[in-house]
Amino acid sequence: MRSENLKTVFKQDRPFFLAIPAILWPAIFLYIPLVFLVGISFLKSFDYSVFDYSVIDALTFNNYRLLFSFTYVKILFRSFYLAFFTGFFCLLISYPIAYFLALRVGRFKNLLLFFLVLPFWTNFIVQVYAWFYILDVKGVLNTVFLKLGIISEPLHILYTPTAIYIVMLFCYLPFMVMPIYTSLSKIEKDTLEASDDLGAKPWQTLLYVTWPLSLSGVVTGFFLVYIPSFGEFVIPTLLGGGKIMFVGSLISYFFLDTKNIFLGAAFTCVSGLFLIISALLIFWIFRRYAKKVGGIYEK
Amino acid sequence: MRSNYGLGHYLLPIFVFFIYILLYCPIIVLVLFSFNKSPLSYKWVGFSFCWYKELFQSVEILAALKNSLIVASVSVFFSVSMGLFYVFYGTSRFLNRMIVFFYGSLIAPEIVLAVILLNFFTFFSIPLGLATLIVGHTLIGLGYVVPMLRNRYSEIDYSLIEASLDLGATRNQTFLKIVVPLLSPAIISSALLVLIVSFDDFLISFFCSGAVTLTLPMYIFAEIRAGATPVVNALSTLLLVTSSFLILILTSLKMRTRIF
Repeated sequence: MRSENLKTVFKQDRPFFLAIPAILWPAIFLYIPLVFLVGISFLKSFDYSVFDYSVIDALTFNNYRLLFSFTYVKILFRSFYLAFFTGFFCLLISYPIAYFLALRVGRFKNLLLFFLVLPFWTNFIVQVYAWFYILDVKGVLNTVFLKLGIISEPLHILYTPTAIYIVMLFCYLPFMVMPIYTSLSKIEKDTLEASDDLGAKPWQTLLYVTWPLSLSGVVTGFFLVYIPSFGEFVIPTLLGGGKIMFVGSLISYFFLDTKNIFLGAAFTCVSGLFLIISALLIFWIFRRYAKKVGGIYEK
Repeated sequence: MRSNYGLGHYLLPIFVFFIYILLYCPIIVLVLFSFNKSPLSYKWVGFSFCWYKELFQSVEILAALKNSLIVASVSVFFSVSMGLFYVFYGTSRFLNRMIVFFYGSLIAPEIVLAVILLNFFTFFSIPLGLATLIVGHTLIGLGYVVPMLRNRYSEIDYSLIEASLDLGATRNQTFLKIVVPLLSPAIISSALLVLIVSFDDFLISFFCSGAVTLTLPMYIFAEIRAGATPVVNALSTLLLVTSSFLILILTSLKMRTRIF
């Protein structure tokens, strides 16, 4: 109805061109450059050591062929594991938190939500930097554990994959909690009470009523964690000490260090495709599961 | 609901409390050590403000702060004004459908955006610097602004706009005198959001700034890699305070702003 109104009322003066810049911006700076990137991945250069387009030689699939080596495929799967397990462990930790915030806590709900969101909006690098104080050999974790006598030798966590996983988990936690919280708080209390009245034990209500009804939040949260962690650059670079390569660090290595844009573009395309396909696959599995348990899965 | 609480009833709050502590422990330690006298990062010697003093004397940090402020404010201006125009004037069916366009920058991993932009700028040999940073941040900003403003715009009582037009106002007058004031809470909150996002952004800045133009997150990144002094802690503390303050404003603006 509203669009009809608009049509009749604004037929004379509708300076639609004012809306154009907002459209042009992503078109010029995102979609056209994306086509460029894909195009460049098919170009051959006779000089791979300079960031220069004048050295383009011919059309080729060579960049992609070069990527079919064990080293690059391994990095692709390493990022996949990182993203998948960050998503998985985030879910394990987030669900109880979201459940608590949505269904249990009463008075301090807004305060707790605020404190959950706060680290998310503070500077990401600062957050990562703060973890150095915990994980360092002389850091808080080792000091506390040594004093308590849990360990006898200081743990060397910093600059290992463990450090990367721990920090990823905590930095991406709010991404997961918020959508689950939203879908949990939409559940009507009557539904849960009905289940309770009909004799279900609390764990049965959780498993057969609450969990299926919150699946849409779980899916959203999982992808909000999965997609950015796949290309994560800062955490592996800083906490991995640059020793362990992930997709993000390899892309930056191609573009910024070796300046081999052609191979870099090809690798970006391959990892982008890998990400899309894996995300679709996970989503498909999720949907089948949701159908089986009778949950809501639409986004 | 149930009167006979099980063990789980007490376990859950304890678990949540524990996770909150783990979330905040690093930040608290970081802030504490910004007051540490010793330049050796992990040993507490005594209380001192000396790192804050040093912070304000550092030319490099002030330059980075200036860059960050310029980039953030200009991209806020660009993305909010473009977004506003789009929401109000983009009423044709075609323009309306183009909204999916803006989600691209939100969905793609940031490193892909950064690489795409870097590649594009180098292809046309556009010199990297503040301008390219603004382009990138505006791109991200639009992704936040447009959906937010559109949501609010669709909630406006449409009879107000119709009344304004009936009473003889032109569409532009209606835009300035009716729509903008009605949308002002959404405008302010989306502007704040873009400001925070742009101020915190690292990846786009890292790729699209060239070697010379440093923003604050880039400065911190470089310092961490080189082995940071407590000056970085002092800087981080100030950044934490600023963004918490902004978030506090954002949440207390008393509107249906979804921070997520």
